[in-house]
This record gives sequence, C-alpha cells and structure tokens, in this order.
Amino acid sequence: MSLESTLMSNTVTSLTMTQFVEPDLIDNAKNKRLPGDLAMWFFILAELTVFAVFFIGFAVAEQLNSEMFIAGKEKLHPVAGLVNTIALITSSLFVALSVRAIHLGNINKSIYLLIISQCVACIYLVVKVWEYQTLFSVGIDIETNTFFTLYFLITFFHFMHVLLGMVILVFIGVNARKGFYKEDVAGFESGACYWHMVDMLWIILFPLIYII
Amino acid sequence: MVTTKQTIISWLLLIVLTLISVYAGKVLENNVAFITSVLFIVFIKGQQITDIFMELREAPIMWRILLMGYVFIIPGVICAIYLL
Repeated sequence: MSLESTLMSNTVTSLTMTQFVEPDLIDNAKNKRLPGDLAMWFFILAELTVFAVFFIGFAVAEQLNSEMFIAGKEKLHPVAGLVNTIALITSSLFVALSVRAIHLGNINKSIYLLIISQCVACIYLVVKVWEYQTLFSVGIDIETNTFFTLYFLITFFHFMHVLLGMVILVFIGVNARKGFYKEDVAGFESGACYWHMVDMLWIILFPLIYII
Repeated sequence: MVTTKQTIISWLLLIVLTLISVYAGKVLENNVAFITSVLFIVFIKGQQITDIFMELREAPIMWRILLMGYVFIIPGVICAIYLL
C-alpha cells in the first residue's frame, strides 16, 4: 500500500470515528434529564423550605435555652433514632433499586422491591410510635417545655410525611401493577424522589435532635 | 444511569457514616470538632441521596445545585448557629 493511500485510509477512518463519536457526545449533553415530573420537584422544594425553617428554628431555640435542650435530649432514645435512620436509608435503597428495575422494564421485580421498602419503612413507624408512647408514659408531652414542643412538632410533621410517602409508594406500586409505567416512568420516579426527600430530611433531623 | 452496584455502595456508605456520626458524639470531646464533623457527615449523606438515590447527578445542573445547595447550606447555617 502506498503512503498516499495509507494517509487517505487514516483520514477516512478518522472522519468516520468523528461522525460516530460527536453525535454521541452531543446526545450525552442533551440527555441530562430531571427524573420524575417537574411539578413534584417544585413540591419537594416547597417541603424542603418548610423543614429548613423548622431546623433553623430548633437550632436557634437550643442556643437560647441550652440547658433545657440538653436535659430534654437526655430523655430521648438515641438508639431509636439510629434504628429509624437505618430503616429509612434502607427503605430508600429498595425504592432506588425499584426505580432501576422499572427502567429495565422489570415491573414485577420493581413491585416486589417497593413492597420490601414499605415493610422496612414500617419499622420507622413502629419505633416512632413506641418513642411517643414511652415519653407520654412518663408524663412528657407537647406542652412540657419548648424542647418537647419543637421535638413533637418537627418529628410528628416528619412522621406525617413518611405516611404520605408510603401512600404515594402504594399508589405507584398499584399503577405499576396495572401497567401504567411500561412507556413513561415519570410518575414512578416522582413518587420515588418524594420518598428520598423524606429520607434526606430525616438525615438532617436525626443529628440535630438526637446527636448534637 | 446509576447502576445497582453504585446504589448499594452508596447505601453502605450512608450506614457507615450514620454509625460514625453516632460514635463521634462519644469520642470527640471538643465541641467544635464534634459539631463540625457531624454536620459535615450530614452534607456527605445528603450528597449521596441527591446524586445516587435521586439520580440528580444526571439531571440538569440547576436542579442538582438546588438540592446540593440545600444539604450544604442548611447544615452550614445550623453549624454557624451552634458555634457562633
């Protein structure tokens, strides 16, 4: 083969590669996609903002009444908080795996993983109710002092979000079973992202109330 | 797309970081080091949930910045309130 034809051949190969590579790179840039529906993300941002006010309010109140907050935290059960953290993180894992399964078109696996995530989330509910009952049994309630007012307010508000998240997960599970997510999985992803938000809020809440 | 392996590694990291933050409360006697390390762990955990569980690593940058900003700013503000 002559030098000229070798160079020609290399140029053609290089051009062909460029034609194959460049559109792919462009596609990767365009493929950045927000999982779920836009409306759900605005809802998530609104929820995060409300909780941000609670978190900052709690920290400020603690600085103003540090002795009361230290005494209040000693009456809580850090192990219960730890178990709840592990339960919510693990539940989120199964939801994330469920989303992965539905992306791959494996609807049955996705539903099973959602059911497991719900079972793990139930650990959180049981532990939280036990915690409330334990506090009530020793005469502590929302009116005891500022610490317990904020404790019950914030944790119960979060508890309600966990319940709402579980209802959403049941809803998307039922819809998946009906075959609603065979082509468009945005609704499924929206429900999953809401659940991850609930998990993320607890990750801030746990150290704020139980550890620091 | 986030893989199953990445998701499971992220979950393990979240569990380990949770245990470290609980352990830090018993080990670190310096209040500044304790609060800073616990809230830094919150940021790392938030980043894992945002990027891996929510899959925002592959989302438009604005949404990723918004969520990552939240898990950075809120622990940062809490840290400032406790330490200042």
